Amino acid sequence: MGGERLKIILSLTPPLLIIFTLFFGGIFYGFLQSLGYQPAIGKYEINFSAYYNVMFSERYAKLFWTGLGLNLWVSFASTFLAAVFALFGALAIRKTFFAKTICNFIYSLNLPMPHLVVAVGIIFVFSQSGLLARLASQIGLIGSPGDFPVLVKDKYGLGIILAYIWKEAAFFFIILMSVLQSLGENFEELAQSLGANRWQRFRYVILPLVMPNLFSASIIVFAFSFGAYEVPALLGVIYPQMLPVMAFEFFLNPDLNARSEGMALSIIIAIIVMILVVFYFWLTQAKIRKD
Amino acid sequence: MNNNLKKINIYAIYLGAIILILPLIAFFINAFSFRWFYPQVIPKELSLQAWVRLKLIPKPGQRTFEGFIELWASNPAVIKALLNSLSIGFLVTIVSIIIALPAARVLGLLNFRFKKLIIFIMVSPTILPPIAFVLGLNINFISWGFSGNYFGVCLVHLVPIMPYVVLTMTGIFANYNPDFEHQARTLGANKTRTFLLITLPAIAPGMVVAALFAFLVSWSQYLLTFLIGAGKVMTLPLLVFSTASSGNPALTAAISIIFIFPAILILFFTSKFVSGESGATSGFGKI
Amino acid sequence: MSKLNIKNLIKSFPSMDRPAVNNVNLDIESGELVAFLGPSGCGKTTILKMITGLFQPDSGDIILDEQSLLKIPTEKRGVVMVFQNYLLFPYMNVNENVGFALKMKGVDKNIIDQKVKEMLELVKLPDIGLRKPKQLSGGQQQRVALARALISNPRILLLDEPLSNLDAHLRDEMRDLIVTIQQKLKVTTIFVTHDQEEAVLLADKIALIFDGELQNFTSPKNYYEKPKNIKAAKFFGGVNFINAKKHNDNLSTNIGTVHYKGENYTDLNEDNIITIRPENIKLSKNNDFNDNSFKGLIKSVIFSGTHTRYKIIVNDLELECSLQSVGLQDIKTDDTIYVHLPSDKIWAMNE
Repeated sequence: MGGERLKIILSLTPPLLIIFTLFFGGIFYGFLQSLGYQPAIGKYEINFSAYYNVMFSERYAKLFWTGLGLNLWVSFASTFLAAVFALFGALAIRKTFFAKTICNFIYSLNLPMPHLVVAVGIIFVFSQSGLLARLASQIGLIGSPGDFPVLVKDKYGLGIILAYIWKEAAFFFIILMSVLQSLGENFEELAQSLGANRWQRFRYVILPLVMPNLFSASIIVFAFSFGAYEVPALLGVIYPQMLPVMAFEFFLNPDLNARSEGMALSIIIAIIVMILVVFYFWLTQAKIRKD
Repeated sequence: MNNNLKKINIYAIYLGAIILILPLIAFFINAFSFRWFYPQVIPKELSLQAWVRLKLIPKPGQRTFEGFIELWASNPAVIKALLNSLSIGFLVTIVSIIIALPAARVLGLLNFRFKKLIIFIMVSPTILPPIAFVLGLNINFISWGFSGNYFGVCLVHLVPIMPYVVLTMTGIFANYNPDFEHQARTLGANKTRTFLLITLPAIAPGMVVAALFAFLVSWSQYLLTFLIGAGKVMTLPLLVFSTASSGNPALTAAISIIFIFPAILILFFTSKFVSGESGATSGFGKI
Repeated sequence: MSKLNIKNLIKSFPSMDRPAVNNVNLDIESGELVAFLGPSGCGKTTILKMITGLFQPDSGDIILDEQSLLKIPTEKRGVVMVFQNYLLFPYMNVNENVGFALKMKGVDKNIIDQKVKEMLELVKLPDIGLRKPKQLSGGQQQRVALARALISNPRILLLDEPLSNLDAHLRDEMRDLIVTIQQKLKVTTIFVTHDQEEAVLLADKIALIFDGELQNFTSPKNYYEKPKNIKAAKFFGGVNFINAKKHNDNLSTNIGTVHYKGENYTDLNEDNIITIRPENIKLSKNNDFNDNSFKGLIKSVIFSGTHTRYKIIVNDLELECSLQSVGLQDIKTDDTIYVHLPSDKIWAMNE
């Protein structure tokens, strides 16, 4: 069976090679650099000073921890709200009605849209001179643009949250629709015939049904929004800054020490995401064992 | 469900839908207006000035076929970025499918030690954020000579794309019956013809889905292109970002419309794939 | 029209602790219709796949018309297989499926069309050329698969469980079709089955395979009348087994001495086993027989339509006898009966 083994190895090598050299290689080399190992400028020692600086030094500590807080807040809020919005949308749209296909289409519309475009769209709609503000002034709610609340490029990351909700809701929506359509109706009718009212059906039938998929999707969305660069870069402010943006700016700093700190920050981001994913796996494994 | 509740339900859906497409509406108005200032909801002046400024549409009076061609041939920034995005997208899509095909076949049809581990490795680039690897990679690319050129950008695009392509195509092969190939061989078809006439038609739909995924991911890349390209490779997302930061909404909107065009196409194209048939979305619960 | 010789064929898989195919030797004459018969997992399909080239044997050889097949790639062997689930190419219509092998050979299109037409008529499906496989019934698909296999005049035709997916009446039709075509085209044919009735109906010769080893290769009749061992006998529905010892040119058993006329007497061990088909045992209330007759008691009588089955106890040995129901003597349970084992119908075997 040697020939078959060789075939397997040869087939798997090209993609694995790419992932190892570029992806794991990049992470590894970034990690090395974050430890101060920069042969290009003759530094061969290894220490964790970059990490210490990023998290605890006087210069950066406040920046880091507020940034981390902002990151967590943005990711949690946008994931949760997108999921809720999509859930209610999916539940509502199940029954057939006029314009159902169009609504189906619109709710999934944002899925292939690049995040950048969604972010720009948020600016157009929610900025102080955006569409909503203009509508508000037309109906007399506000006077000048300054009266409209700061929703975009604000220090609570609201604009970022909005942008993520717009895009991720479509993602959740599609997943929920496929689960509900394949399994939901039969169970719901059964529960109905057993006397469950709407709230009970939702709580005891629908929610448990969609929870696994919803949970997995949430992890994906959370991990993505936590580490993504584009949207916070476009919609964020100088202070507080989300961590990926911070990491990138450190990296571009001509000071090579700052470069290590940027790498360290990106590794910290990666570790946080890893913890999350491992936690998720542990949770699902525990659940499987319980069943 | 009593009627009032039903009505509220439906109106809520409509409201949600309108909210969702507001940005799109804003895009289009911005792109085709001139001096659309606060507090106008409807622009006083519709015009193509944004497109003229971008050198996509010739000035009035020169809007003939030759006029268009001449304008585009002068290689305005938008055309350059568009061509880059398109060509990079096509290139990495094709390369990724070719690389992924044998691996997907082996993963989908055979069982072997470490298979789960290998699948996990293949998928890992989707778990960790790009910033984790691209910073370190950039330094390597500089020393290898891949920084700031087209090839380096294509190479780095492969990283986020490979997992999707491998995963999708593995799913296709998992549902594929290789006996068909043996049947064709016994009827006289050699390995090449078997692949072209039997295997390819069977996996083509899956390949199309994988290709669309891949293209879209490459098309949307900002950070990777920005960093590795080092300012020398200009793609549409980079242009969108820089224009958005500059503050001219009409220009930004116009470029964005070009930018989202493939996404809309793909949406129409795949809506029948996603709504019921594909196992891609229903498989998410099992991740 | 081709001669196939299988020599010392051995094949093992890592997942099994015994060889899947263990030193099989077989010679199949040109134009023969042969069955590989055995229970699931006995290795018969593995041998088939080695003949087509999907698997390579660990050792041994497969020789077609004096030439070894082992180094020849599948597409050049001239060995065609019809799979159990037909595997009609879903993206081609019936005409394109049937003509596939000729297209691979580069035959001119007009000739292909002509031959496709002929083949479809041969399998009695003249009008379905433009249909797609999923529009056909199971029986139709199988016939198309057959036509597709035969169009290029293969040297060997292999059929994997050709009748097992069909219901009873389709089975008869298909069996007739296979036999007719095979005899008309005189193509050497091997088919694989686990159903001994199917093998007996179709085959000129049956290769019986247990656990990767060839037990016997002979005509269906011989399996009934002269099985090689108990396992083979049982596989073909034998139920009467009597322990015997050689004694003075006869066989002594604990029901008495049995006169044995079989030609294999000298090959028998000291201890051997006599077997006889239920339909060959004769019964009589009076002792009308002058040879090999034993007294016993009727244990049960079961009427099964055309035949009636009797279970008889003779000296603690249970024998089963099957007689035609017409013109029967009045035999009831607990009757005393005389059992006659005609000496030309009994067969003794080692173990």
